Amino acid sequence: MRVLGLFNYWIFIFLMMVGFYTLISRGNLVKKIVGLNIFQTSVFILYISMGKVRGGTAPILMEGDAVYSNPLPHVLILTAIVVGVATTALGLSLVVRIKEAYGTIEEDEIQAEDLRL
Amino acid sequence: MEDRVILRVGAKILIPHILLFALYVQFHGDYGPGGGFQAGVIFASAFILYALIYGLAHAKRVLPLGFASFCAALGVVIYAGVGVATLLKGGVFLEYGVLRHDPVHGQELGILLVELGVFTTVFGSMVAFFYSFTGRRKSRS
Repeated sequence: MRVLGLFNYWIFIFLMMVGFYTLISRGNLVKKIVGLNIFQTSVFILYISMGKVRGGTAPILMEGDAVYSNPLPHVLILTAIVVGVATTALGLSLVVRIKEAYGTIEEDEIQAEDLRL
Repeated sequence: MEDRVILRVGAKILIPHILLFALYVQFHGDYGPGGGFQAGVIFASAFILYALIYGLAHAKRVLPLGFASFCAALGVVIYAGVGVATLLKGGVFLEYGVLRHDPVHGQELGILLVELGVFTTVFGSMVAFFYSFTGRRKSRS
């Protein structure tokens, strides 16, 4: 039952492998960015689920002692999510420019175009 | 999308609820899951839905690109302004406790204002991203 108890790690591994496979197996640049996003999400899930404390509340000021979830991974991942959005926007804008320059977003066609020139 | 009655009516029903949910996430953020980032994205998604259904030109009449960019900058000013306000009140940068006489109330107010700044920035930049990507094809030709 230990295996089931650690199911957040299984979800993390599954999502990471799905994202990684999408990233290396697809030639379409937009699909690559989607894969990169799934990869990022797996890391977010790993960190956020590690910060959860059973029975813990939000880390805010209150009277007496209280069990609270570890806020550090959450804040770390909040930053990571914002960085992820920024990298996604940057990647998509690069894809738009590549599409305008080459007329395609398939990697092999871009390489063929490069070799032809 | 002029003739898609179901989409148009469905969007009209959905958009106010999305906006309301974004505000719920915003103001509930200090006690539950939520906060400025999530609320900003949800709030922006309502405008993106509007642009998808009714067209970019209509969406830009409701919320011009310049205003979205202004929002993105305004949020940073709000965030930094709270920090400067705490400095002026005799605390350190972003020490919310000094905003009110009671530190707990001060923290509540500080978090709310900072989250408002985050909300404005995220909302503005999300809408600006969407406008820049979707409006590109028309501007090029």
